[in-house]
Amino acid sequence: MTGWLRSVHPQTLRVTALALVLALVVLFFGSQIDNYYTARMFNRISTSVAIILLIAIGQALVVITRNIDLSVGSIVGFTAYLVGDLLVAQPDLHPLVVVAAAMALGAALGAVNGVVVAYGRVPAIIVTLGTLAIYRTILVEYSDARSITTANLPKWVVELPQATLFSIGDLDIRVTVAIALGVALVVHLALTRLRAARRLYAVGSNPDAAAIAGINAERVVFTAFLLSGALAGLAGFVFLARFGNITVVAGLGFELKSVAAVVVGGVNIFGGSGTVVGVVLGTTLVDVIDNSLTRWALVSEFWRDALLGMLILIAVAADTLMNRYLDRLRRKRHMAELSAGTLPVPREAG
Amino acid sequence: MPEPVLALDGIAKSFALTAALADVSLELLPGEIHALVGENGAGKSTLIKIMTGVHQPDAGTIRLAGTAVTIADTQAAQRLGIAAIYQEPMVFPDLDVAENIFISHRDLGLWMDWRRLHEAARREIERLGVTLDVRRAASGLTLAEQQTVEIARAISLDVKVLIMDEPTASLSAHEVARLMAIARTLKGQGVAVLYITHRLEEVFELADRVTVLRDGRHISTKPIAEVTPDALVRDMVGRAVDHFVPKAAAGPHGERVLRVRGLAREGVFTGVGFDLHAGEILCFSGLVGSRRTDIGLALFGIQPATSGSIELDGEAAQIESPKAAMGHGIAYVSEDRRKLGLAMALPISANISLPSLRRLLGKLGLIDRRAELAMAEKHRERLNIRTHSVALEVGKLSGGNQQKVMLAKWLETEPRLLIFDEPTRGIDVGAKTEVHAIINDLAARGVAIIVISSDLPEVMALADRVLVMREGRQMGIFAIEDATPEGIMSLATGERPAAAA
Repeated sequence: MTGWLRSVHPQTLRVTALALVLALVVLFFGSQIDNYYTARMFNRISTSVAIILLIAIGQALVVITRNIDLSVGSIVGFTAYLVGDLLVAQPDLHPLVVVAAAMALGAALGAVNGVVVAYGRVPAIIVTLGTLAIYRTILVEYSDARSITTANLPKWVVELPQATLFSIGDLDIRVTVAIALGVALVVHLALTRLRAARRLYAVGSNPDAAAIAGINAERVVFTAFLLSGALAGLAGFVFLARFGNITVVAGLGFELKSVAAVVVGGVNIFGGSGTVVGVVLGTTLVDVIDNSLTRWALVSEFWRDALLGMLILIAVAADTLMNRYLDRLRRKRHMAELSAGTLPVPREAG
Repeated sequence: MPEPVLALDGIAKSFALTAALADVSLELLPGEIHALVGENGAGKSTLIKIMTGVHQPDAGTIRLAGTAVTIADTQAAQRLGIAAIYQEPMVFPDLDVAENIFISHRDLGLWMDWRRLHEAARREIERLGVTLDVRRAASGLTLAEQQTVEIARAISLDVKVLIMDEPTASLSAHEVARLMAIARTLKGQGVAVLYITHRLEEVFELADRVTVLRDGRHISTKPIAEVTPDALVRDMVGRAVDHFVPKAAAGPHGERVLRVRGLAREGVFTGVGFDLHAGEILCFSGLVGSRRTDIGLALFGIQPATSGSIELDGEAAQIESPKAAMGHGIAYVSEDRRKLGLAMALPISANISLPSLRRLLGKLGLIDRRAELAMAEKHRERLNIRTHSVALEVGKLSGGNQQKVMLAKWLETEPRLLIFDEPTRGIDVGAKTEVHAIINDLAARGVAIIVISSDLPEVMALADRVLVMREGRQMGIFAIEDATPEGIMSLATGERPAAAA
């Protein structure tokens, strides 16, 4: 009965399980919430997922190297506000310049994390907890209690969230969603195919071995933080376009959401493994639950964070239990093969 | 004589005020296996680190094929064709075998071609004469297989000098044989192999020449034909040391202390049964992975048995936790000093007193520091722990002395059953002899002793009886009078059916 379990890669098992849970969750809320299976609901959730997905992908890159980036929420708020400010002052900037500026700003903030973690050798959790507070405080000081409002933004930004790339039946795929999925595809290809990107896994898997193998671990970790910052910057721009009205609390709590998405998506919190497919599923699951709970009359909105936290714990626990179970299976099979005498005998070199 | 691939001349290196190396010279020839021996602290590790670019020498020159070079870092060493494999394999558990092998290659292009990578990896593994699925993740490999991956990584880089730093310390006998075969294959391909080991029999079996270091100085370099084991040991320790003399007959025993029947832990080991008497030394022998250690862990309650019976002094005992085991007077001296044995950052005295703190409680229930120090001092003298103060951090001691601290810690609990797991692994010849003397002395005082050991000469020297395990099954028990290394090995490797014992 358990024979097939052994032949399946743990990562495949995880992705399948995630997809299954996601389907069950959607079915459940569909039965609880009126007008759940509508194009409007799909848009609401997909554009929300797009923002978190960008952050979660960056977070995954960092977590794979055995680090964590808690400052992403503050970076999102920071870039959303500053890019909004820039657009108010110079409404005629080319959209690509604006996007580049958002990513550059995010990258700069990520670089600060990267330098201190990789070269200063301070634990990432401490560094990014610090910058989480620092970036937010700088933003509060800078904003001087002003808000960015939709009225002051150029037309193309305000209309961007409604812009549709193509439609499948009733369902519109928004440009912002396409951007996020595009980034996911690029990072997926890089992580599986790009030689330099494989070093992220190497460093997270065994830092000492990485050093001995001649891998510049500091540069790899720095790059991960840089990219995480840049993607948070991009998410900041999408956030600005989606909401239009930006105050200093923009992106608050996104670090929890992104860590939840990454961990639920099967990225090992101790580094070394994780896939973009998992992160996409993890993000979708986390955000579907989050968005559906706001619509569900039965649950107060204060419970949403607690549920997010519980989801992280369940994901980690399920992962640990599954690995232990697979381990036991492997050992049992080993013993069985021994008594059956089918284990291959090592060949001696001649 | 051919020109040396690598020649070190007059190398010196100091750390703070201690000279680790002074005027050390070493020449490695293409196609030779060159053994490097010396006690712990002789400077072998420092020498390796200089050759691999981890440290820079304070003085001296390094020449590669006649040209003077500077080895600035590990990458530079790799470029020059110098690679090292270590006792603890340095693999990436999450990556597959193929990627592990080619992780250091810079010339494979921007993109991964997984099919080509797997094929190339298969070829490298085949070159070593080993069978291994290159698509498996390294986390599932045995220690020996991980080492094979490391060697494949080194030779894939077109290595000219391969340094093997105690590669066999954690391997079982047939894995050692395989590793030696690999070393000979590399030698045949013209690689210079520098082989560091504590096991002298390996030196004589494998090496063409042998260099001895002592106290950071070069003592001798000789062709293997010109040295004897005794002379080598004399060079290493600077004095003559007795060999391990195999025990001829079992020592006298007292009452039966332990009776184990049908002991098993699901999926780990099964069918273990033996008796153990006061003053008797029972050795668990077997290859790595034969689950010897797991029996020790079960008896000490760390990973309790799932079925079978344990009787202590004729009474059935349930050992579900280390606390319960200690309550029964059982102590376990772990193989893994770092993980299970010692708190490296704490002083010697605190490590020794840890399991016995209750007896040190003074006024107001606080620990009596003076009594703690006295306790540590007592053991320092009795076990000859070499340190200027028991307040020193354990992490700063040599392996042999750390082992003694761990032993002291458990002796203080006055156990009647002591389980030693690889008591002399990774410690030098002199310290080994001392540890053996301590174990024999304890047995003479009536402590029942179990020694888990991969080192056959050690087993032959210590045991009154030998229990042989193979892949989680008890294969047989020898009385020392009937035991031969060959007999034990054939049971452990399964060449002979269990019924023969």
